Amino acid sequence: MVIAAANPARSGRAESGSSAAAAERSGRMRSSLLPLGPPVSRDRIISSFPKWYTPDACLQLKEHFHGQVNAACQRRNTGTVGLSLSKVVVVGDLYVGKTSLIHRFCKNVFDHDYKATIGVDFEIERFEIAGIPYSLQIWDTAGQEKFKCIASAYYRGAQVIITAFDLTDVQTLEHTRQWLDDALRENEPGSCFVFLVGTKKDLLSRAACEQTEVEAVHLANSMQAEYWSVSAKTGENVNAFFSRVAALAFEQAVLQSLERRSSSQPQVGDGDLIRMEGSPSDTQETKRPSSLGCC
Amino acid sequence: MEEPPVRGQEGEDDEDDEDGAGPEGALRKSPLQLTAEDVYDISYVVGRELMALGSDPRVTRLQFRIVRVLEMLETLVSEGSLAAEELRMERDNLRKEVEGLRRAGPAAGPEVNLGPDKMVVDLTDPNRPRFTLQELRDVLQERNRLKSQLLLAQEEVQCYKSGLIPAREGPGGRREKDTLVAQAGNASRNKEEKTIIRKLFSFRSGKQM
Repeated sequence: MVIAAANPARSGRAESGSSAAAAERSGRMRSSLLPLGPPVSRDRIISSFPKWYTPDACLQLKEHFHGQVNAACQRRNTGTVGLSLSKVVVVGDLYVGKTSLIHRFCKNVFDHDYKATIGVDFEIERFEIAGIPYSLQIWDTAGQEKFKCIASAYYRGAQVIITAFDLTDVQTLEHTRQWLDDALRENEPGSCFVFLVGTKKDLLSRAACEQTEVEAVHLANSMQAEYWSVSAKTGENVNAFFSRVAALAFEQAVLQSLERRSSSQPQVGDGDLIRMEGSPSDTQETKRPSSLGCC
Repeated sequence: MEEPPVRGQEGEDDEDDEDGAGPEGALRKSPLQLTAEDVYDISYVVGRELMALGSDPRVTRLQFRIVRVLEMLETLVSEGSLAAEELRMERDNLRKEVEGLRRAGPAAGPEVNLGPDKMVVDLTDPNRPRFTLQELRDVLQERNRLKSQLLLAQEEVQCYKSGLIPAREGPGGRREKDTLVAQAGNASRNKEEKTIIRKLFSFRSGKQM
């Protein structure tokens, strides 16, 4: 009886689970993760649009979800967005703290010992944004030069690129441009949100941090990136940062899903022409990573 | 490894020399093995034969020439043997040095001049590079696959755990309409879940019996 009573609460998830698994099977990594698993924890529920770190280098200044997105979420009419994983790739020099940043966010831990990442690793973080389940697959790449040829194979199809540097080591900031260029080369132009993240904020005085931030913000603007200063050790800004990443990626995914569906309606445009891309459901699932529009 | 036989040969030659066919034996020797002693033996033999020719002034003149040639030969032979001795000593020293270096291990090994982009691998180092890039790629891919399976399994476990608590609905609750639609579309899934649970129960009861 208990089991039967529990079913309705879970039924929506269970159904979408299998189709999500099918969608994933066509993907590169064949992750068959249920995007709609158990309920997400409270700090993964995003109901209002998370704010930027500094208005001097941010991807958008609005404080609410796009009207169309809000409406679609209220109607629970977000297409396959709730079933998909958006890919986030974290790049940057070795020892800037990419793994620490991800572990702080996904596991809420901080390890004082340095352990170089071998090749790549990933974590999956589930959110509920504007009532819609949404997941980020966060790829942690090795900063060591010798692994670059392996890690770079995982850059493709990224919706978000996070370039990390060490706030206490200005050289790592200088290298972010190269890291970004390498990651962008594997992706469609204009298809990725870019973030520039200064790590180890706890190791600097406020004044020193602000001084480095001036330079970083300048670089972020030239990269068309949003800037954040964080500390994985203290956890400062970590959740806020990833919430911002998730919200921006989510909103873009919903808008693109709406755009695709409106353009595949028979009364708009030439039906035959559109049908060339396959059935709408196919298109939505397989085309999504490569057909992201503007940032 | 090569040294003892060489020495043996030399030893044998020396012995041959000593109990060989007396002074005459020196004339049958290989010029490369001639010693100063052999030259004296030869001069003894030649002198004796010259004496037998009598005291003709031409013989006397020839005798001076022969003495001069024998002196030259003596110089060559003794110089040669000195040089050979020096070389032998140097060879032995070098051998000792090489053995010492070999024993000192790889760190002190002789520097090999490689081309650019080459490196020397010490095959006795347990941490030497030995796997290929492709092997690492394959292992990583396998690890990623297993990790995603683990995450899936963990979520499924959590689903079952939280599913056993009836009050655990989605935040804000769901609209009735949604629930109904989901229920209708989900009959097959319900069946699947029941069979899994049935399996679990039969497994347990089987264990008890």
